[in-house]
Amino acid sequence: MIFYRIILGMIGVFAIADIVRMFLGPTIFDRLLCFNILSAKIVMAITLYALMTEQSSMLDVAIVYSLLAFVSTVLIARFIRNKGELS
Amino acid sequence: MTIAGKILIAAGVVFALLGMVGLFRFRTFYARILITSNIDSAGMILMMIGGMLHSPTPAFALKIGIIAVLALITGPLSTHAILRSARISGYKLKLGEHI
Repeated sequence: MIFYRIILGMIGVFAIADIVRMFLGPTIFDRLLCFNILSAKIVMAITLYALMTEQSSMLDVAIVYSLLAFVSTVLIARFIRNKGELS
Repeated sequence: MTIAGKILIAAGVVFALLGMVGLFRFRTFYARILITSNIDSAGMILMMIGGMLHSPTPAFALKIGIIAVLALITGPLSTHAILRSARISGYKLKLGEHI
């Protein structure tokens, strides 16, 4: 139990550092990259929480979150690449 | 079995730590995207395999395996989409800029 708490605390510190980098980032691509990493960290944290409390239903949340993060990252990248047209 | 799972989860957190250090250390965008693709491919796969060794029932391990396969497919694809977007949009390095 104490092992999972330590790992979850480290992931939380990384997520806060990632949000700081998202505010500091000079271009829009740095902000998009930080969003991608932040979603990966959230999936890791949900999985560790499900392992810690042994709730099997939290893993469904993690599956849906990873798919939505992938779709939104690709959508924003294509939106920037086409200069504002969703085609 | 549980000690192997703990070692794999700790290795995944070490990969995430290396990615975060590289995100603040490197100065150009292409170096940053190269080091931070560690987090959502290598670190996440190691952590999910460690979680599969830790899981209490087989159905639990199967769900974590589905997340690991999804991360293995979608992680490099999203990194490639961001990099291709930056390259086609005309992001170039300045002349004196290096790692």
